[in-house]
Amino acid sequence: MKFYEALDLVPTLALDLDDLKKRFYDRSRQWHPDRFSRASAAEQDQALEMTAILNDAFRTLRDPVARAEYFLKERGLDSSRTEAPPELLEEVFELNMALEELRDGDQSARGQLVEARDRFGAMLRSSDDQLTDIFSQFDFSPSDDTLNTLRATLNRRRYIANLVRDVDKELHVHSAN
Amino acid sequence: MAYSDKVLDHYNNPRNVGSLDKADPTVGTGMVGAPECGDVMKLQVKVNPSTGIIEEAKFKTFGCGSAIASSSLATEWLRGKTVDEALAIKNTDIVNELSLPPVKIHCSVLAEDAIKAAIDDYKKKSGN
Repeated sequence: MKFYEALDLVPTLALDLDDLKKRFYDRSRQWHPDRFSRASAAEQDQALEMTAILNDAFRTLRDPVARAEYFLKERGLDSSRTEAPPELLEEVFELNMALEELRDGDQSARGQLVEARDRFGAMLRSSDDQLTDIFSQFDFSPSDDTLNTLRATLNRRRYIANLVRDVDKELHVHSAN
Repeated sequence: MAYSDKVLDHYNNPRNVGSLDKADPTVGTGMVGAPECGDVMKLQVKVNPSTGIIEEAKFKTFGCGSAIASSSLATEWLRGKTVDEALAIKNTDIVNELSLPPVKIHCSVLAEDAIKAAIDDYKKKSGN
């Protein structure tokens, strides 16, 4: 996996962020284009390319969700065309309906939305805890089953994160009025 | 990214927004989602059991403009079709009609999935 290789890392789902940052800074210094100003054109190109890869690698790997998505994509398990559980879709749909009511000015939905924000905030945190567990489980004993669980957990998290974003936005708009 | 005029038209004036009675045995409901963007789409058909013709189609979609336009167009096409004709609707037909760009093709796939899910549900309920 290119991003891990650029930082001389063994591909694992869990990463030490301090170590990651240190590796990124070290290698960025090493490949800094200023150091290649007198080098050949080919070497200058290589330095530029490495700098770009290092930036992408660091941006992706420092975020657990982006890292997991990258990892799964490299393993042929990207998010497109995966199914969401029906109960989750029903729940997401109902909350969106409640959001729409508030958007249309029905203040009675506000209490429901505050409650929903708390509930979905808690769901998001528990998703993040689940991710941490799955990371260590896979790193300790890699299996396709665990990767599939990771895929499902990330899909669910995406819905929850969107809901948290939408509820926050709606509550913010209404408190500003 | 610029939306085509047809997408904008469906987005600004969506056709057949709403819902049908889920408990009605002649109503089929399809609820589908796209985890990569977090869209949810509900599409319902009401079928005349003696003719097999779809008499009403309703949808409600929470998602981007292309997802709303794809499902709005789908309900327009469904009305007056037989169940089998409805199953022949392909996502590529929606892509062509709405001139969807490659990054929005998954919205049309979602609409096709919603049609199939709604018809499956109707078939299960009516026992064939």
